[in-house]
Amino acid sequence: MGYNLTFGWSGKIGRITLGATRAEGGTRKKSYNIGGGTTLPFLESDPSSAAPLVALEICDDPEYWSPIVKNYCGNLVENVDTWAQTAERVYGADLIRLYLTSTRQRNFSDIASLGKTIESVLRSTVLPLIVEGSNEPRIDSEVFQMCGETAQGERILLGTAEADRYRSIAAAALAYNHSVIAQSPIDVNLAKQLNILLREIGLPRDHIVIDPYTGALGYGFEYSFSAMERIRFSALKGDADLSMPMISSAIDSLAIKEVREAEPSLQDSMAVQWEFYTGMAAAVAGAEIICVRHPKTVIMLKNAFESIRNGAGFQEVKQDGTQGA
Amino acid sequence: MALKALDIYKLLPKKNCKECGDPTCLTFAMKLAGGKADIDLCPYLENGAKSILGATTRPPIRLVKIGVGERSFAVGEEFVLYRHDKTFHHPPGILFKVSDTLTPEEICGATIRVRDEIFTRIGSDLRFNGIAIANTSGSPEVFARAVATVEENADLPLVLMTENTESLNAALVQVGSYQPLIHAATTENFREMCVVAKKHNCPMVIKAHGIDDLAALSKDCLSEGVKKIVMDVCPQSLGDYIATATAIRKLAITRAVPDLGYPVFLDAGCLCFQDAAIALGIVKYASVIVTPPLNQASSKAALTLRQNIYTDPQKPIQMNPGLYRVGTPGKNAPVLVTVNFSLTFFTLQGYLESSRVPCFMLIVDTEGLSVLTAVAAGKFNETLVRDSVKKFNVENEVSHKTLIIPGYAAPLSGRIEEATGWKVMVGPRDAAEIGEYLHEVWSKSTTVI
Repeated sequence: MGYNLTFGWSGKIGRITLGATRAEGGTRKKSYNIGGGTTLPFLESDPSSAAPLVALEICDDPEYWSPIVKNYCGNLVENVDTWAQTAERVYGADLIRLYLTSTRQRNFSDIASLGKTIESVLRSTVLPLIVEGSNEPRIDSEVFQMCGETAQGERILLGTAEADRYRSIAAAALAYNHSVIAQSPIDVNLAKQLNILLREIGLPRDHIVIDPYTGALGYGFEYSFSAMERIRFSALKGDADLSMPMISSAIDSLAIKEVREAEPSLQDSMAVQWEFYTGMAAAVAGAEIICVRHPKTVIMLKNAFESIRNGAGFQEVKQDGTQGA
Repeated sequence: MALKALDIYKLLPKKNCKECGDPTCLTFAMKLAGGKADIDLCPYLENGAKSILGATTRPPIRLVKIGVGERSFAVGEEFVLYRHDKTFHHPPGILFKVSDTLTPEEICGATIRVRDEIFTRIGSDLRFNGIAIANTSGSPEVFARAVATVEENADLPLVLMTENTESLNAALVQVGSYQPLIHAATTENFREMCVVAKKHNCPMVIKAHGIDDLAALSKDCLSEGVKKIVMDVCPQSLGDYIATATAIRKLAITRAVPDLGYPVFLDAGCLCFQDAAIALGIVKYASVIVTPPLNQASSKAALTLRQNIYTDPQKPIQMNPGLYRVGTPGKNAPVLVTVNFSLTFFTLQGYLESSRVPCFMLIVDTEGLSVLTAVAAGKFNETLVRDSVKKFNVENEVSHKTLIIPGYAAPLSGRIEEATGWKVMVGPRDAAEIGEYLHEVWSKSTTVI
């Protein structure tokens, strides 16, 4: 091709490390180094640039988890260890995102149990981990301290810091050398503001992942799509406070009307396609970690990303049969 | 590079003949300067002026209309690389592709799906746009028969996919006057294809791999007299598609290579991940996408993504203010006040539906602002709530006088109570917690008898 697509950008997406192998002081079988991009997603000429990672979201108390996932996975969801193991070995996830939903029980106080959960999940999978702590400011400090301490050396990604709630999580990340998800409500300036707050209390830029908040497809996804494009664009133009890799989780995808009210026989494929189309678009907009909840979405996204990157092409690779007249 | 309106005006005939559709030459000049009109609309322009204006005034990506009648659609006339730079204007047409080797029943089935299926979201009807027929058989008779089968069942925009002019002519006997999109002219056959396209005034796809070849081919076809061009970039992979489509868009909108200023065609069925190809086509600059018929799940996801990406980011989508019902609420049902930002509305509605508590949503007009912004900007205030309660006759719908307001509007609760005379309860900040709130707080409140 006679034309080289350049935009004259000088900025670069910062690199961040997820997980730690034995050599790096942890127990993971692999660690990921994401970021490093110098142009729009999937336009890198450097073939060593990383593909977006796909994380499967699981939880330690499935009471309020999507019934679609519960139906598909059956008893698996009752045991977070085997769930994590299956995510790695059967579903093919790159990462596990563990939500400590048990902390959402009324008056939750059994902090020690969280340590045990994280420990046993770390034993059950060799993948790097994302851990979502509490939803309740009252116990934040203890919960994040426990997450940080238990996973010491493993370089986990801790979630989720927000503008009015970031100190405990940042403290735990700093003390035990983990990274932090910084979430802001679909706005490039608010994302930047939170990153500055985190920097001011000492969290280095290479320990932050931006979560611009992803609305479900059909329910505000376009705002998230543009927020991600703008963040990536600002980073490439040289704004260091926005140059962190992004994570996208369209968390409501399985709860929206089109999926929830689909006929039972169609519910799985509706859930998967909804997550898939959202994940594809988010990756093109710049997200480097795509989180999904339906196990079947994992491999579809991974195959598609791989195919975009390695240029594998025409029809000889068959799709997994979800398509048809 | 772009000329100012007055510079353009100097080159126009200044007859104010109105034949271009504009009242004066000056207004036409202003449109040309904004890339909103085509210089060919002026019948009296001298050739010298035409060549000066031609390249600089037409929209950077030409508008191409496909099909005729109610379901026809236009693509192109895009100006930006990112939707947040302004907006994307013309959503890609997505057409189901059938092979002429299928049985008439199968062809008919796909056609009827495109003709009849409507998926309604946020007040808009989402549909697929037409049928592409591929001349897999290689036979002109079989192709013509398949095209006739489609045509007998629906008046839909068509893509005729054959590089064989004999097949094409056989099909155009049936549908030549409906301006189907012809696919495709290549470096080998473009002269014959241009003759056919011109004869029937059809838009035509040109097909070449690599942007240099595409630019050269579009120039050749233009000099043969074909202006309604769409470009098939023949991607060898999904990655190749993104790179090529991005390069074309950038070179076209900056007018660096005017010969690339045409809409892009994508055959999703050629690539190994059809859904991935469609998603990429929608977010990255495809204007005509053909795909084997999609199952229901892919259909809805694809149409919704297209709707999202082609929503104008300059205006928040708004709901009509009013009193909305969730389930069949009775006289004791709770009344939840919120803003008319559609994202807020649909999020809250979703959680209310899953809470299984029948209720009313009182949507007030904050001009599409979210709760947080509307409260901060003073758009959400006690007067608005009072007027809305009156205007939408909330009193006649329920037997109590209690409103639930969003958590972020808590500072206004006192003033709303005074202005309306209704009791105000403060709901959660996060819509996700509304179910729990209704079950725990509302059900125990004194309002419920």
